[in-house]
Amino acid sequence: MIKEEIKKALENANLSGALTRFSEAYAVSRKKAYEGLDFEEIREKIASIKSYVAEHLDEVIAKFIDSAKKNGAKVFFTKNPEEVRSYIIELAKKNNVKSIVKSKSMATEEIHLNKYLKEEGIEVNETDLGEWIIQLAGQRPSHMVLPAIHLTRYDVSDIFTKKVEPIEPDIAQMVKFARKQLRRKFLAADMGITGANIAVAETGTIVLFTNEGNARLTMTLPKIHVAVVGVEKLVPKLEDVIPIAQALPRSATAQLITSYMSFVTKPYTHIDGSQKEFHIILLDNNRSAIAKDPKFKQTLQCIRCASCLNVCPVFRLIGGHVFGKVYTGGIGTILTAWTEGLRASKDIQGLCIQCGNCEKVCPGKIKIPELILEIRKKLTKEEGITFTSKAIFSVVNNRKLFHTILKTASKLQKPFTSEGFIRHLPLFLSEFTEKRSLPAIADVPFRDRIKKIQQPKYDKKAVFYSGCLIDFAYPEIGEALVKILNRAGIEVIFPQEQTCCGAPARYTGVMDVAANNAKQNIEALLSVEADFVVSACPTCTVALKTQFINDLQEQKASEKVIKEAKKLSQKVYDASELINILIKEGKIEFRRLPETAFTYHDPCHLIRTLNISKEPRESLEKSGMKLVEMFESDTCCGMGGSYSIKFPEISGTILRRKLENIKKTETKLVCTDCPGCVMQIRGGIDKDGLDIQVKHSIEVLAERLKEE
Amino acid sequence: MFELFKEKATFMSAEVHLFKSKAEALDFIKDFIIENAANKVSKSVVWCESQFLEGIDKDALQKELPQIEFNIDLNSASSAKIGINEADFGIAETGSLVEISKTAAKRLCSTLPEIHIAILPLNKILNNMAELFGKIDIRDIPYLTIISGPSRTADIERVLTIGVHGPERVIIAAVENF
Repeated sequence: MIKEEIKKALENANLSGALTRFSEAYAVSRKKAYEGLDFEEIREKIASIKSYVAEHLDEVIAKFIDSAKKNGAKVFFTKNPEEVRSYIIELAKKNNVKSIVKSKSMATEEIHLNKYLKEEGIEVNETDLGEWIIQLAGQRPSHMVLPAIHLTRYDVSDIFTKKVEPIEPDIAQMVKFARKQLRRKFLAADMGITGANIAVAETGTIVLFTNEGNARLTMTLPKIHVAVVGVEKLVPKLEDVIPIAQALPRSATAQLITSYMSFVTKPYTHIDGSQKEFHIILLDNNRSAIAKDPKFKQTLQCIRCASCLNVCPVFRLIGGHVFGKVYTGGIGTILTAWTEGLRASKDIQGLCIQCGNCEKVCPGKIKIPELILEIRKKLTKEEGITFTSKAIFSVVNNRKLFHTILKTASKLQKPFTSEGFIRHLPLFLSEFTEKRSLPAIADVPFRDRIKKIQQPKYDKKAVFYSGCLIDFAYPEIGEALVKILNRAGIEVIFPQEQTCCGAPARYTGVMDVAANNAKQNIEALLSVEADFVVSACPTCTVALKTQFINDLQEQKASEKVIKEAKKLSQKVYDASELINILIKEGKIEFRRLPETAFTYHDPCHLIRTLNISKEPRESLEKSGMKLVEMFESDTCCGMGGSYSIKFPEISGTILRRKLENIKKTETKLVCTDCPGCVMQIRGGIDKDGLDIQVKHSIEVLAERLKEE
Repeated sequence: MFELFKEKATFMSAEVHLFKSKAEALDFIKDFIIENAANKVSKSVVWCESQFLEGIDKDALQKELPQIEFNIDLNSASSAKIGINEADFGIAETGSLVEISKTAAKRLCSTLPEIHIAILPLNKILNNMAELFGKIDIRDIPYLTIISGPSRTADIERVLTIGVHGPERVIIAAVENF
């Protein structure tokens, strides 16, 4: 079913157009908004404030209740959404409330409050413009902060015309129209319901950020004000508001500050001279369970800015109607699993391509991709995996069988292969080659080619971990690496027992297979004495450097194996890093060749997990190449390992954008440092018949080595 | 500090004016009313009591400009075009106004009308939010708003539009010798 929804979303040009334009502009304006501030420092503060609250949740809740009660507010704390709804309904009935105005509140959306109020015959009007449009249209918000971003002015004019009064599709006019229409609702309302962006325990204050001013009217005009506050909004002290106030508008919409920040502490005299009623409902709804989970407790560090949506290469194509429920995108996937149950997140968790963009911008320092992977693992454990996946992983788990199958496949693929590409696959496999060509499996894999390379004997030795793609699809990248390292006086050793790094299993949540792959590789790679262990695939590098240790610890492997994993980790280098060091040490020199222009694509794992991005550029420039940066060079190419097989339409659409950005540089060469990215981008370029080459940096550097 | 305040407030689309004295500020406000709410019959200006009005003959002012209403309730505020009140502080770093309101009247002047004129004593401009928190005890304040420019939305096609539910113009009259 999700496949159909994805297809529909991808075909919705308004949706992906609006989201993509926003996310492109957002990346630039967010950076500008943070100018002069230290983002790392701010988010460190937020993370530490909020993680303290998660650790001491009961205590902080009690403190808030105490302070707010002292201020004269009525406070109701419950774990149960049902009780929130009945509290509000009873309060409304007791006060003969006929109509309610609301300012945007995710907590009330989480408990589907509007639906229940309507069933009681109470009129509810959302007053945030975007939320009001969505409410009139009977839709669901497509983005947590920009609920109506999927609608054009024409859609909005249609909705207003059908549901309210005829109005021209002119934005300024429609905004005035909304002001006029909703002003009436404000003036007639008996109750105002808001959420809260922050709740301060020490003072019992709730803080609300809005741009439109609707929250101020919601709180001021009706006699009763009810604030529904998720307990994750709590902070201990008033000064804790400051870093959140700095980050929230900047991260949400790249604004320096919202027009209004309201601090509400106590009930006051109402406009008519009577006493204002001020109710605060603290909602738990499984948040205290999150706080107790050692891995997931960081989820409570979220400030609901939705920047994880704004930078997500998948979200900007399909939006929140497909990628999420009430809460959308990356953080939405995690919140859905906790507030609606693990099963509710089953389809959406798979949409994460694990590129890591969101983690870099999260003001709460939440490791969103890692937590989504945790959800995937839990689902795999609880629901198992498909028969096909099981069959595939049982093959990957057995190195000899796996490699024999790959070698056999290199013969079987012949009818589909030309010039090293598979361009069309028959029947149900056709979607894999619809938007990109696939590489043909090499006639002779690297593991056999290395045996024939005559290497001089050197004292320094490097073990080369090729990974499956270099071994079986692009052995020439491995050969280029041998050439370069030999030139620097390093002998390359290839232990034949090495196997798949476990990424396919790991990113599907099949952890026993991943851990078994880890064990086999550790044994193989440590079987020979060497100074370095080098990988030219960043996903493999990350596996060797950190994932093996994590997986083995998680699978409760023996101390001995874990110690070996750590020993291996110490020796691991990504080739891009090692080569850059060798160049700087003067051990690798280049020929004088005419300056060739190239553009560079940053592999996700290289730039975001290994923090390597300057080194490969510098190495290529040292070899006499001229860099022309492309737009969004660090945005995922859509490969994502098996993601491109699970969601070929999304993967293909992300790839198209990458190709557009490459074309705009007008260079004829794309360099990158990941064989997966080479496969994806090269496949797209072949499909489009473009006159552009895609190469692993190592290949280019090897071609330009100084002659001996 | 005023220069920074003005720069930041202007960036947020507020209009900032500096006056040497209360008299100068009053003249400006009167002219503004005549220009923007000329009709003397309707009460199109609500003006909230504050220190600024001390020593000003309100009856004379009302005689001169009958469109001014000092008695603020839901009716007068929701039909007024201009709301005038006095800000308690300014924040230079963000060009913001700080409005502390114990009753609703003061707040109605900055929420309902299309134009909000805020009178701001120059010596009340603080550096930043941290300084503000050091100056006040929030537990004594029922309701505090930090206002930065006019009401705005970008909910339709991400097009920035000024003036949704709140004022579409925020005019800050900073006064030196208060």
